[in-house]
Amino acid sequence: MMNTRFNTALKALPIAVSVALVSGQVFAADETNEQKIAKLEQQVKTLQNQQTANLTERFNFNGFMSGAYITADNNSGYLGSSTSADFSEESKLGFQAIFAITDNTQAVMQLMMKGENDWDVEAEWAYVSHRFESGVQLRGGKLRVPLFMYSDYLDVGYAQPFARPPEEVYGAVPFTTYTGGDVSYALEFDDSTLTVQAFGGESEESGIDIKNILGANLTWTDETWTLRAVYGQSTLDGTTSRSVAIPSQDPNTGLPIFIDASVPLLTLNNEKATFTGVGASYDNGQFLAVTEWTRVEVDGQYTDSDSGYITLGYRINAFTPYVTAAYYESQDDDQRPVVGESSALIAALFNGQRTSYSGGLRWDALDNLAVKFDVTYATDFGDTSGGFQSNVLQKYDNVTVYTVKFDVVF
Amino acid sequence: MKKLLSIVALSLCSMVSAQAAVVLIGAPGASDISASDAKKLFLGKGSSSAVPFELDEGNATRSEFHDKVTSKSDAQLKAYWSKQVFTGKGNPPATVSSAAAMKSTIASTPNAIGYIDEADLDDTVKVILKP
Repeated sequence: MMNTRFNTALKALPIAVSVALVSGQVFAADETNEQKIAKLEQQVKTLQNQQTANLTERFNFNGFMSGAYITADNNSGYLGSSTSADFSEESKLGFQAIFAITDNTQAVMQLMMKGENDWDVEAEWAYVSHRFESGVQLRGGKLRVPLFMYSDYLDVGYAQPFARPPEEVYGAVPFTTYTGGDVSYALEFDDSTLTVQAFGGESEESGIDIKNILGANLTWTDETWTLRAVYGQSTLDGTTSRSVAIPSQDPNTGLPIFIDASVPLLTLNNEKATFTGVGASYDNGQFLAVTEWTRVEVDGQYTDSDSGYITLGYRINAFTPYVTAAYYESQDDDQRPVVGESSALIAALFNGQRTSYSGGLRWDALDNLAVKFDVTYATDFGDTSGGFQSNVLQKYDNVTVYTVKFDVVF
Repeated sequence: MKKLLSIVALSLCSMVSAQAAVVLIGAPGASDISASDAKKLFLGKGSSSAVPFELDEGNATRSEFHDKVTSKSDAQLKAYWSKQVFTGKGNPPATVSSAAAMKSTIASTPNAIGYIDEADLDDTVKVILKP
């Protein structure tokens, strides 16, 4: 009995084992083949990706675009606004191509078309950069003047929290690019980076040669805090003309119109200009604060000014409401005494002060699209035009500007 | 009883895998890296020869990784890279679409590093940092 049972069991055992083995083998073989195929497919995919990467990796194309609608409650001319709707003042389209010449050398070209310049194509960046093994980076060509925290991406609205960097500070220097070079070095600490950058070159703006530009800035960041300091100087040479909108009447219709007149004003004879700026920002992913303060000094009658702003914002999912307070004030009004007609015009054009308050909302509507709403109220002009050439003869003493804007990167 | 136990065990397992954390991986021969080096690598800083790979935008593991390592939210990261790109300072790391693609990319690309959910680990890659 026992034997028989044992025998049966013994007979059954190899069957059971072989069944188990076979099914196991089949199963194992299946799995391996499937896995192998999956792996091979993945490898082919990876190789294909690498191959395409090899072909395209030398070139990199990117772009950005902003469309803005701006209107104001009067024609003082703040931010290029007027009481009629303006769609072109802050609308722009930019294309960027980066070509990797070698692993460490690249050519960068950024072409911009701006509504305020009638969509003429202009290169904002066009330079060749080289990074040495030591980490020192050299750039030469047409570059942004790195005076402000947002200078490097002034036109890339998507990369800025607000509808625009505050005009009180960013409008104090009338040129944004220069031809020349810079050298920078980034010191990497455990959790932060200190970047030292020195720059030099020349520029030109509205008939003024901006020569012997020389400056340096220091930026420290741990990606939450950013601290920045900058100093720059140059010599200004040439005659400044200011365009003035003179209120008049249309001879045919009798309606009020403005005639733009260009008036040669100050002659700058190699006057020294200096720029000093400090800035700080904090961004923990939710709460955001940015502040900058700047001082511009120019020998002679040209405006010396102080300006500053603070922005606070708070991210709630896709929405970032923000508030900004900013000021601008010319510091050397006593150097422009009014003794006659032309000195009165000079004083009216070069003296200026104002304070502005903005409330806005950034809405990250899509992955690469931000929509911004902004209301900016500027006041405290004192007895000046507020710093707007177009307000010299009109004498509005405050203005509210409404903006709806979208910023895209692609 | 056995059934019940195995159900409990299974559900425990799935709970564990659902809670598995993001890990940084390299090829089997790769050496460990520090959290601050990982942060620099994925922000395009420093001068390491490692090649970082990201998961596609919108991936939950990607968000978890950046929350832990670079302390940047998805929106901040997007803004950060748009600044880097449009100042010619650098481009974001290449992306892959899945954990499987990440593993095979890392296994087949010299010096590549990336991140996956711990639950997707196998012996084709090695954990080089648990953030």
